[in-house]
Amino acid sequence: MAEKLLFIVFAAFAVAGALGVITRSNVVHGLILLVFTFINVAGIFLLTQAHFLAVIQILVYAGAILVLFAFVVMFLNLREFQQEEQFHRGQKWAVVVLAPVMLAEIVFVVTAVTWSSVGDGFTPEAIAAQGGNVMVLGEQLFTKMLLPFEIASLILLVGMVGAILLAAKEDGESVCLREWDDDDCVSASLVEREV
Amino acid sequence: MVIPIEWYLVLSAFLFAIGAAGVLMRRNLFIVLFSIELMMNAVNINLVGFSRLHENLIGQNFVLFTMTVAAAEAAIGLAIVTALYRNRRTLMVDMFDVMKG
Repeated sequence: MAEKLLFIVFAAFAVAGALGVITRSNVVHGLILLVFTFINVAGIFLLTQAHFLAVIQILVYAGAILVLFAFVVMFLNLREFQQEEQFHRGQKWAVVVLAPVMLAEIVFVVTAVTWSSVGDGFTPEAIAAQGGNVMVLGEQLFTKMLLPFEIASLILLVGMVGAILLAAKEDGESVCLREWDDDDCVSASLVEREV
Repeated sequence: MVIPIEWYLVLSAFLFAIGAAGVLMRRNLFIVLFSIELMMNAVNINLVGFSRLHENLIGQNFVLFTMTVAAAEAAIGLAIVTALYRNRRTLMVDMFDVMKG
């Protein structure tokens, strides 16, 4: 019973944080609310006895990935965008109607289906008897999931190289807001001073 | 299972719908990236819930790979954000309407 209650609390906080992320005009506020949402999701992982994932959720998601976001947010001068229109003008109302419709569809399907368990035997009690969630998860990761694990390392490598390539500066080029409008062009050195 | 699987699925549906709405209606590129992360988290909740339902750990292993992809996606997405900002001096997604440059 206590678990159900905690689930509802975590879920409510997560959804509230997520709603905050997509409605705030200040990007930094959105970032903090996203961290809040992720920590609540980590709480739900804990309730599900996925201990390792709960820790990884906080370390990697709320820690590493969002700190990366925070760095880039601080690099760029975002204050000027707060005065601008934050939502697509016409599209906004279409989304306000269609997103709840999609949600209702998913909820309808999910509650209509009867879910049955495969029952592979890795109950929390069995996992605890075998040395705990981290131990069993690690064992499976390095035996059953070895090939995907190696591919994941490749994805990280490609991501790193791609990020460096994309963010590298090309010097000596003038920069235009609109390509067809020469008046908008500013020199690369000026932009570099500002960025 | 103490918590019924439907609860996980409904929570995940909520987060996914909110993330999809954020991608479609916000103009700020950062918020669009945040919304994508929200949708990925919704998927992770589903995977963990099903892993608990089926009493095996394949779902939890998969969440690790989803997080790997999310990390790579965040790195590349942010590199694109800085490149776009340097070239166009704006972050509003509807301003990026030509492919070249």
